[in-house]
Amino acid sequence: MLTLFDNKKEIIGFIITFVILIFLIPFLNAYPSEESLFHVSNFKISLWGKYICYAVLAMSLNLLWGYTGLLCLCQSLFFAIGGYMMGMYLMLMIGDRGAYKSILPDFMVFLGYQDLPMHWKPFYSFWFASGAVLWVPGLVALVFGFLAFRSRIKGVYFSILTQALTYAACLLFFRNDFTFGGNNGFTDFKEILGADINHALTQRTLYIVSCLFMVLVYLLISWILNTKFGKVQQAIRDSESRVRFSGYSTTHYKLILFVVSAMIAGVAGALYVPQVGIINPDEMAPAKSLDVVVWVAVGGRGTKYGPIIGAIVVNMLKSYTTQAFPESWLIILGFIFVFVVLLMPDGIVGLPNTIKKWRQNGFQSLRFKNLIKRFI
Amino acid sequence: MKDPLFKDTDLVLSVSGVDKSFDGFKAINDLSFYLGEGELRTVIGPNGAGKSTFMDLITARSRPDCGEIVFHKSDGHDIDLTKVRDHHISRLGIARKFQNPTVYSSHSVYDNLLLSLEQSRGVIQSLFYKESQFDRDKIHEVLKTIRLEDKKNILAGSLSHGQKQWLEIGMLLAQSPKIMLVDEPAAGMSDEETDRTGELLLSLEGKHSIIVIEHDMEFVRQIARRITVLHQGSVLKEGAFDSVKNDPEVIEVYLGRQGRKH
Amino acid sequence: MLRFFKGFTLLFFLTSILYAEESKVRGLLELIMTSSGNEQKESLVELSNYSDPQIKTIVEAWRKGDVYSFTNNGESIVVQQTNSGFERIKDGEILIIEDQSSLKKNRPSRRIRKSLKKIVDTADLIALDPKVRKEAVLKLGLSQNLSYLEDLRRIFKNELDPSVQKVFRESIAICLLAHGSDQEKLSAIEELGILKSVTAINFIEKIVKNASESLSDISLEPLLKDKAEVAILKIKNHQSILDFFGNLFRGFSLGSVLLIVSFGLAITFGLMGIINMAHGEFIAIGGYSCYVVQNLFASWFGTHSVGFELYFLAAIPVSFVVACLFGFLLEKSFIRFLYKRPLESLLATWGVSMIMQQSFRLVFGAANVQVNTPDWLIKSADFYGVAMSYSRIFVVGFALMVILMTWLLLSKTHLGLHIRAVMQNRKMASSLGIPVSKVNAMTFAFGCGLASLAGCALSLIGNVGPSMGQAYLVDSFMVVVIGSVGNLLGAGISSFGIGIFDQYLQPVLGPVMGKITVFFIIILFLQWKPGGLFPTKSRSLED
Repeated sequence: MLTLFDNKKEIIGFIITFVILIFLIPFLNAYPSEESLFHVSNFKISLWGKYICYAVLAMSLNLLWGYTGLLCLCQSLFFAIGGYMMGMYLMLMIGDRGAYKSILPDFMVFLGYQDLPMHWKPFYSFWFASGAVLWVPGLVALVFGFLAFRSRIKGVYFSILTQALTYAACLLFFRNDFTFGGNNGFTDFKEILGADINHALTQRTLYIVSCLFMVLVYLLISWILNTKFGKVQQAIRDSESRVRFSGYSTTHYKLILFVVSAMIAGVAGALYVPQVGIINPDEMAPAKSLDVVVWVAVGGRGTKYGPIIGAIVVNMLKSYTTQAFPESWLIILGFIFVFVVLLMPDGIVGLPNTIKKWRQNGFQSLRFKNLIKRFI
Repeated sequence: MKDPLFKDTDLVLSVSGVDKSFDGFKAINDLSFYLGEGELRTVIGPNGAGKSTFMDLITARSRPDCGEIVFHKSDGHDIDLTKVRDHHISRLGIARKFQNPTVYSSHSVYDNLLLSLEQSRGVIQSLFYKESQFDRDKIHEVLKTIRLEDKKNILAGSLSHGQKQWLEIGMLLAQSPKIMLVDEPAAGMSDEETDRTGELLLSLEGKHSIIVIEHDMEFVRQIARRITVLHQGSVLKEGAFDSVKNDPEVIEVYLGRQGRKH
Repeated sequence: MLRFFKGFTLLFFLTSILYAEESKVRGLLELIMTSSGNEQKESLVELSNYSDPQIKTIVEAWRKGDVYSFTNNGESIVVQQTNSGFERIKDGEILIIEDQSSLKKNRPSRRIRKSLKKIVDTADLIALDPKVRKEAVLKLGLSQNLSYLEDLRRIFKNELDPSVQKVFRESIAICLLAHGSDQEKLSAIEELGILKSVTAINFIEKIVKNASESLSDISLEPLLKDKAEVAILKIKNHQSILDFFGNLFRGFSLGSVLLIVSFGLAITFGLMGIINMAHGEFIAIGGYSCYVVQNLFASWFGTHSVGFELYFLAAIPVSFVVACLFGFLLEKSFIRFLYKRPLESLLATWGVSMIMQQSFRLVFGAANVQVNTPDWLIKSADFYGVAMSYSRIFVVGFALMVILMTWLLLSKTHLGLHIRAVMQNRKMASSLGIPVSKVNAMTFAFGCGLASLAGCALSLIGNVGPSMGQAYLVDSFMVVVIGSVGNLLGAGISSFGIGIFDQYLQPVLGPVMGKITVFFIIILFLQWKPGGLFPTKSRSLED
């Protein structure tokens, strides 16, 4: 178990974060009275639940981009697919409490459906939906990844193609006749596994489950990185041809990673939807995928906890600025992005090192020779 | 078919009648080439003679237009390399060093060698791989051969250029290859490093069949056993260093050209 | 000079004819309004020989009760009440009438009204402009009104223009489908088949459906069905040929836009190793430049002047310069740190794209802005039945011009030579004394300028809004990948290929599924040719 962590500092940080996220925050939500200074509001709980899901999404991208060098721009697609799968279950659980008092989801009544489409029927089962959260994004990743990696598409080309895939899927989900609610998507959920979805206890449970999942993913990634698989993975980032000429089928490695990362993103999306209460095609717009890249870059790519920090920091900043300066939020984000890429190549996690280097070498070092090497 | 020169030794590689053209330019033209067991062969030739393309063809990085490339396994089986996928090439026991040293710069020297060991290359095996004593011994043996024992925990990215070249040769050795293809091992090295590289290659003779591509004539003289001169995609001459060096045709296309330049 | 003079006299001659015609028409109308009996009847017959737009407006006014008559010094005067006052019918002069009580409403009788309606309806049949004639003929034909059949036949005899003759035949046949004898119906169907009349297809189908009612001799029914089938087949074949060429044309124009966009991308991406995610926003700069120039011209010249009509021609260089300037600044400020680091350039320019997009929203509003297509680009040409809008033709021509410009720049100018040198070997070029950083900035600026030109073209056929470039960006990246990065010929071929493919798939699959299908075809294409159409051979290991 201890070998999963790099050093003592990491273990201590891990334990502290674990305790705060999983015990302290839910405790402060449940027990102190609402007037109390220490009370964490229900709103805060679901907000943090959202951040945690985003953090997992960022981790899944980091697995591909940070450790394997694959800049994948369809992570938000997998996230949204996972969300849609869970959303289907939640829609069916509304039952006849919708606006049209029909057992069909509202948008289907609105569009004139008589019966539930075949592929919706199994989603009455929570466990089927949970399974679909894993295998549907996984399957999409498997098929696309197989085609892309087989023809040796890499680097920027891979990014462009994944972006195009996201774009195509986004267009598809915007269509009404795709049976996923068109541009309104799914919303107005009532219950999950029999529990009222808007109840504080349910939201708290969802929050804890999200945190536990994040911890699980963290441990999974730590484990992978310590195996030979993880070493091969990083070797692919450094020199893919060398790896192939050492007898490894890089196609298989990349494919497995792509599928696993898609599944992680899918689960994150499935946890996100009941906490946020809505899923629509905007969630898979190509711009969202690039947002995820921003989080990872800001936090520090190729580090285990960088993506978590990045996702939380950027989203907190977003929550703040969208209220304080709603007009210029995108401009601020844009500047952060440009700034990070140019001056903070290792993100927040690498900031101390960057500053040190900056002090030693003056402004010239900002061109970061080591970084150039990493990218070429 | 056998090359008449190899009556006594066994062949490991035979290339016969291979053509390869790019956009109408014939990079390899009816090339035939035979490599014996444990042989150290040096391939020279002017720029554009097709040396690198020749290696690409053997390692299935590109496919020939026509002709045969056959690898003779020690168990007697012959394998047609033109039909093998590139990552299987090295599993067969053919290893290649590239012109620019390619090592995994964010891994330690030790891990670089570990990743090059010949087993556990599958996805699942690599997840549950445990380092055995045998593997450790093998890595240390290679480290000793390439003289990087004291640098085993250093990141490969911070090695000097020459050390990277050795590390890459070490990575080939870790694969326990039958055939080693070594592309310009002395490029960018100091004289002393070049000497040591030559010694290293000579010490490997007999254990592995080696093809070395080189430009540096001093270095070629040092390691030369048998030399093949490539010109315009086919073999111009084959023989010992002195006989090749004094061949008027070779002087014309290679040394001669060089001579005029200087 | 002489030619100019000749043209001028011709123009003068024509206007004087028109003027003469108008006064004649007015005179006749007045006569009809004031006279009765034979005199009125003769005037009506004479009026039917004229085709002046005044007939329609005045008759309309008369019918609606806007025409008054009064007597002044024994002379009976008819006037038409218009917005500007009372207009004398005879010459259109505005009269000032003090005593409005003397005005008596003048209204046509039922009989007159009927004959006037016919005159108005058939007036356009003899209009000067063949296009107007064609429309009028077709309108009467489609109405299938028996009373017009005679007029159509009568005027058809005097028609000289073969293309209008064709429409006459078509219309007469359509009329006959409803009102002719059985034999006439049969031959009409045949005729429509020969004429390949797309408009008639519904009428033929209807007559087949109702054959038992419409035919007096039921035994002819199978014959009619046979003939209709042949005719419909002929028409449909013709229709599919038209569709084919129509799609081809639209594909070409879409391809042209893609081509302009992707040329810019191919230069920055392929030749410089910069993935410019903000390229879409430079397209938007083009669109907004058109918008701004349009508004400026509107305030300078007014919206209905010739000067305003030319705003688009001025907008093209303006947007190019504006985008080049922005591109130059962008390159100088930080793109220059990102050469040959495609992934990082992708991320940084994405940030720029967000900034620019939001700035557009702040300056121009989040909604699309209205860029009016100039009048001279609104109409469409009819090319053997294929409608080709001028704006799309313009876009195709524009793209060809851009290709020519790019080619000239790259192959004939000093800058082009430098650009090619830097692209091939940055270090070598620099050591040979080529001002690499300056060339970089210029190239990047040029790429951005091309994007804005695409924006200009898009403002003619699409919306102008803050995210207008995004939709085209993904497509143009595909174009660049398919056409092999940095290969302008490849970009050209693949943009037309993708454009045409898209247009053929869209009618069959709908716009969204069409796009998705194109995307999957691209992925499959890359399975076959991973390096695109014209892959570059690289000797280095990591390419």
